[in-house]
Amino acid sequence: MDLDKLRKTAAEVVAREDVRYLLGWKKGTFGYRIAPGFVEDAESAAELIFSPLCTANLATYLTLTEKPPLPRGQEPDDRKVAVMVKGCDSRAVTQLLIEKGIERESVVIIGCPCPGVVDHELLAEKYPETEETAELKWSDKGFLLLQNGEETEIARDELLAEKCRLCRYPNPVVSDIMVGEPVETWEPDDDQGVAEVEGKNAEVRWEYWQEQFSNCLRCYSCRNVCPLCYCEDCILDRLNPTWIYRSVNFSENTAFNLARAFHLAGRCIECGECERVCPANIPLGKLNRKLAREVREKYGFEPGVDPEAEPFQASYKPDDPEEFIL
Amino acid sequence: MINKENPYIPYNATVEDTWYETGGERAIKTFKVVFDDENIRKSWEHFPGQCAMIGVLGVGESMISISCSPTEGEFLRFSVMRMGKVTQALHQLEPGDKMTVRGPYGNKFPLDQWQGKHILTIGGGIGQAPMRPVVEYVKSNYDNYGGLTMIYGARTSGDLCFKEEFEEMSKDDQLSCHLTIDIEEEQWDHNVGFVPQILMDLNPSPENTIAVTCGPPIMIRFVLENLKKLGFEDDQIYTTLENRMKCGIGKCGRCNAGNMYVCKDGPVFSYAALKEVPEAFA
Amino acid sequence: MSAMLLNKEKWSDFVGMLAGKNLWAPRESDEGLRFVPVAEGEVPTLDYNNTRVPPKEAVFPQTETLFKFKVGGKDLEEPRPDQDAVLLGVRPCDARAMHIIDELFSWDEDDPYYLKRREKTVLVGLACNEPGLNCFCTSVGGGPVSTEGLDLLMVDLGEKYLLEEVTEKGSALIDEVKELLEEADDNSSKQKDKLADEAAGKIKRSIETEGIPAGLPGLWEDELWQRVSASCIGCGTCTFLCPTCHCFDIQDETEGFEARRCRMWDSCMFREYTLHTSGHNPRPTRSERTRNRINHKYSYYVDKFEVIACVGCGRCINLCPVNIDILDILGQVKEEI
Ligand SMILES: Cc1cc2nc3c(=O)[nH]c(=O)nc-3n(C[C@H](O)[C@H](O)[C@H](O)COP(=O)(O)OP(=O)(O)OC[C@H]3O[C@@H](n4cnc5c(N)ncnc54)[C@H](O)[C@@H]3O)c2cc1C
Ligand code: SF4
Ligand code: SF4
Ligand code: SF4
Ligand code: SF4
Ligand code: SF4
Ligand code: FES
Repeated sequence: MDLDKLRKTAAEVVAREDVRYLLGWKKGTFGYRIAPGFVEDAESAAELIFSPLCTANLATYLTLTEKPPLPRGQEPDDRKVAVMVKGCDSRAVTQLLIEKGIERESVVIIGCPCPGVVDHELLAEKYPETEETAELKWSDKGFLLLQNGEETEIARDELLAEKCRLCRYPNPVVSDIMVGEPVETWEPDDDQGVAEVEGKNAEVRWEYWQEQFSNCLRCYSCRNVCPLCYCEDCILDRLNPTWIYRSVNFSENTAFNLARAFHLAGRCIECGECERVCPANIPLGKLNRKLAREVREKYGFEPGVDPEAEPFQASYKPDDPEEFIL
Repeated sequence: MINKENPYIPYNATVEDTWYETGGERAIKTFKVVFDDENIRKSWEHFPGQCAMIGVLGVGESMISISCSPTEGEFLRFSVMRMGKVTQALHQLEPGDKMTVRGPYGNKFPLDQWQGKHILTIGGGIGQAPMRPVVEYVKSNYDNYGGLTMIYGARTSGDLCFKEEFEEMSKDDQLSCHLTIDIEEEQWDHNVGFVPQILMDLNPSPENTIAVTCGPPIMIRFVLENLKKLGFEDDQIYTTLENRMKCGIGKCGRCNAGNMYVCKDGPVFSYAALKEVPEAFA
Repeated sequence: MSAMLLNKEKWSDFVGMLAGKNLWAPRESDEGLRFVPVAEGEVPTLDYNNTRVPPKEAVFPQTETLFKFKVGGKDLEEPRPDQDAVLLGVRPCDARAMHIIDELFSWDEDDPYYLKRREKTVLVGLACNEPGLNCFCTSVGGGPVSTEGLDLLMVDLGEKYLLEEVTEKGSALIDEVKELLEEADDNSSKQKDKLADEAAGKIKRSIETEGIPAGLPGLWEDELWQRVSASCIGCGTCTFLCPTCHCFDIQDETEGFEARRCRMWDSCMFREYTLHTSGHNPRPTRSERTRNRINHKYSYYVDKFEVIACVGCGRCINLCPVNIDILDILGQVKEEI
């Protein structure tokens, strides 16, 4: 990735009068951390990076940014927001377009073809983080770690995030500007990465999820970080009526986790953010990918790929299978 | 009194009487309630400005101003606007039904310190709920105060609370009572206009006077401005804050405005004190 | 108070003798490291860094039943937490955090649930020989061998643990396992001091807190809050998992004819925390919420209880998914003051 080109492009974009700010990745405050950056000028654009550490899906900020009540007489700032996207992130933008969650004219999409990012936990486990901010680059073998003045070659398979192993769209599916050449796609090793759980019998599976859901802290980080969880009036927050009690116990946790998974069926674009941020390490990706696979196999729908598509949950085809409907 | 053993345990109380003050989607209903336990009834003490957590078991609790003065008798009064879950459930209660009460919470209007002064209350809508005990308290101690003026307004005459008391108030020559509604109505022979404007028209002297106000935020803002124009000093003005509350005893953290816990350090504040609290007018 | 030594060879006997006392210790599982009740026959090891969920959950559980009742009934059944517990391997910062929130739960009105658990729980600390990457306890009044809030402090001296009594609860515990212990000598206390110095030296991150509590109110309108919170996703991880965060919600829940009123952790980083039914929100954006979090810890709490409500455990830094770093924020605060 040519960082100079990226920064130059970003600087040009934020200089445009119709652009409010640009969402990009910056170095964090220590170790391997990356901080989402809200770039408003060329100076700040010069701090942008794109590396295998850039896991965060910045498309989430397109719907997350709050609009506080404006002082009287002040006009809302309707300028465009520019956003840097990897392949998976671009699918989030596309899905938002499909659902009319955002307008095409309201965004400038800067596509970053993506050779795959790392699993941060694995990285920190194998190559302990230090207080110095480290760099990680893509290399021929996989990754090149620059830490405290030392260079370490790391094989791709050793650190590649699970979502990336399974990725079928590393090149942005929608963009206004592309930085860098498209990458060569790869074959996901096992379809959707759910085979392992699927292979077990119902009882074992149930036990597995029981244990996982029991750990849930109901912090709702998974919802907040999700680019497609953007309902203004989420049923989780609603008190009247209360759909899911706030008590943290296995049954309420399960109700919550399943409700969220179902709300995302046919909408989740597999960016893996929920799983990344979950402080209880719940393998949410497995759940979402299982549903994604069902939707794809049964209904032939894949979210976040074609901006002209009908939203899955709002569309009906005469030949849709119905056997699971009671 | 606050349950010293366990302040989260409420007392049972029975609704003795109840009536609607206003109608519509956000109706206001008043409840006169009496504690079931005689000991609590006897030992309960509250003072104008304080509130209580009232609730319905199985639904929840809400912080509500105690809208009667202790001088009125061994009962409590609450006037509740129908907003969400708990207030809707409260609205379904009829005489003989049970509710739970815990408290009293919060500080008090310093009525003892105000002895000898003229008291001016300025209320809007449901904001009259904490004003009413002040009025009642002064009414039963006229000798100790320099006079009593009450300004109270709402959008329409139907939105005014405590209407059944106005008639008697108008006969009380020690009370200067000024009612107002926002828009002209037939058969309304009081003022028409916003509360802050009525205040200006009345032009009360700040001399030896304490002004107390409660109502919608926008009203409070203009009332404060106007009181300043009339020459009131910051420490002659009092108001109450309304922040979300859960525990009422300075534990749950929720009600803070800056470094104040509104449930403990409030809800009554002098304007002088509020100016030091950055979040007070958020 | 005296100090004793426990040879590590006797570790499993030591654990065995405490096993009947509702013993909790950190255990590593899918979800990460967390304090859990020690299973029968299990011998926990303490060779890890700090837990993800702080041990505050043992005295302030994420969900606590305040009382139970029957739907339609009016008799309240109060569960009184009266079980003894021993927490093994509590880090000094987390014990200090409990010590700090003791103030909150006992000022003015007592909180019977918290205080009862606190009274019934013995905290056996473990000094940190290898502080974590983002630990900054030494900046906020703590340190790797701080004993505030603990009943007993263990220091890993290599082949032995040094056990230092801090409170009477701690002494009582020592008495019960006396047969496994030997008297500590001068040498071990010297060893401890050396380890403590070394550990403090390994702490990489710091902040000079002087001036922050007094300076924060002046920065109320500063655009710094907007800047530092721009990328916050409002997930509340920094508060749920903070050992000093104590905010809670209260809700009634029913299941068939059984009902309960319970309280559960809440966070000022959530939008609903301050939202009124009318739709009005006194803290409408994440910038006001972040400002509250920092102010609460570094200014309001100091005004009320004369201590900073942050023990420098580093969890909020380690676990924030978008790298909002409290030391970075405090650094910017210092620059603006
Ligand atoms: C000190 C004080 C005195 C009050 N006095 C009165 C009164 O005399 N009469 C009256 O009708 N109302 C009064 N309120 C407001 C009343 O507490 C809320 O309208 C009520 O809690 C809404 O609860 P709900 O369950 O019906 O709404 P829901 O939306 O179902 O519940 C949401 C939760 O939000 C909180 N909440 C929502 N709106 C408010 C609000 N405006 N103020 C505080 N918390 C809120 C509460 O914690 C409530 O539990 C007072 C509030 C405070 C803080
Ligand atoms: S899922 Fe695909 S596009 Fe997304 S980070 Fe991984 S490789 Fe890149
Ligand atoms: S992020 Fe994890 S712990 Fe938090 S609510 Fe989601 S699943 Fe539960
Ligand atoms: S953990 Fe980070 S993103 Fe989450 S609420 Fe805290 S500061 Fe915001
Ligand atoms: S604020 Fe952060 S560092 Fe301080 S005690 Fe809480 S989690 Fe630990
Ligand atoms: S106000 Fe916020 S920072 Fe303070 S204890 Fe509560 S959740 Fe934590
Ligand atoms: S209502 Fe809980 S602290 Fe004030």
